Amino acid sequence: MKLERRKEWWIDRARREGDAVVGAGLVARDPAPESRSLAAGEETRIAFGRFVHLMRRRQGYSMEQLAERADLEPSELLVIEDDVHYVPGPRTVYKLAETFEVPQQRLMQLAGLAAANDAGLAREAVRFAARSESIEKLTAEESAALEVFVAVLSEWDPKRMK
Amino acid sequence: MTKRTMTLNLTDAEMRALDELSVRKDLSKTAVLRQALRLYQTIDARVEKGEKLVFENDATKEKAELMLL
Amino acid sequence: MAEVSLIYLVDGATGEAVEAELRDAIKAAQLVDWQTKWQPALITVLQELDRRGVPVGQWPQSWHWDWRKKTAAVQGLLAFRGFCVVAAGVTQGLAQVDLTKGAREAGQVGKPLVYVDYLEVAPWNRPDLGQQLRFRGVGTALLSAVVALSEAEGFKGRIGLHSLPQADRFYRDRCGMTDLGPDAAYQGLRYFEMTPDQAQAFLKEEE
Repeated sequence: MKLERRKEWWIDRARREGDAVVGAGLVARDPAPESRSLAAGEETRIAFGRFVHLMRRRQGYSMEQLAERADLEPSELLVIEDDVHYVPGPRTVYKLAETFEVPQQRLMQLAGLAAANDAGLAREAVRFAARSESIEKLTAEESAALEVFVAVLSEWDPKRMK
Repeated sequence: MTKRTMTLNLTDAEMRALDELSVRKDLSKTAVLRQALRLYQTIDARVEKGEKLVFENDATKEKAELMLL
Repeated sequence: MAEVSLIYLVDGATGEAVEAELRDAIKAAQLVDWQTKWQPALITVLQELDRRGVPVGQWPQSWHWDWRKKTAAVQGLLAFRGFCVVAAGVTQGLAQVDLTKGAREAGQVGKPLVYVDYLEVAPWNRPDLGQQLRFRGVGTALLSAVVALSEAEGFKGRIGLHSLPQADRFYRDRCGMTDLGPDAAYQGLRYFEMTPDQAQAFLKEEE
């Protein structure tokens, strides 16, 4: 299929485009802030982003390096670490759980992709997020917080609750 | 893009249906058949992948399954 | 074999006309460019936005699209087509369309149109990323191809698309499309359609 027009036709239209951003299609995230409600999912998502950030730094990876290891897009990692509203896709969480060697299901719950059947995870997630303020180097404090949280994720047994 | 020619033998009823669709869709009869081919191929490919083709009644939300064998 | 049309873009810095190609297929070379040129450029921009503390809500909205996956998903299917613009030996924009959808606008309901699944220009061609734009006209060229395809397939130029929020005004005012409003089923993105009359005006060669 060919489209033939005179040179002036193309130039005229290109100039008329001006500074418009041209694009179309379903975006990866919800662009409408009003429709986003601060649901329970966001509390744990703060912890999810913080967790990914700290685990990455603990292993000494840049975002590009972690992306390569986990077979993910670096741009998605950037948003995971930065945007609490962003809900990652299941494959992404799967790959991160695999890379960080933590239980798949727990990380899914943390990311807001699966419902946790106990309030304990949310509680621990908030505690972790509060303790792990984001600073340049992984401090002993952050290390300790991270270790505790990894243990929580790996050993948490819902059957022991109630 | 090379095009190939095919002769089509249709019954009266099929020809009538083709005419009606042509009017409703504002398409030539050839374009109607090409569209039908696109739809058939796409639906078949998705069902093959394990998806289901479903019609839903917008008012009652009742779903009726349409499966391609 | 992809058909190639000679087109012209405008150099963002000098305003001069630049020769380019509009092709009616997305091939391996485009995916290589997407992966090795678009992605790194985008990461750099995102890192800069992040460094400047720009809220994520203001970041470019199509950065997450995986064009390898998109094109792989429609391989061999007649219902889907791709377009690209190439200039200076590099892919400048991509578009993927679906020919199986129907119009929603009152006067055109049920009639087939070419629906734009995705349309994206390379990061260096985006005016919203705070850098000198390299080429103007890539998005318009891709849209023109979509309308031309609609005519070629007998759909009379009818097209439909969900606009990225920053592009609303472009489709409504520059392209003269009908704004059918935010679509709750598509993340609230505004849905636009072009009627046969609008398409004719859009593609018209002025004398």
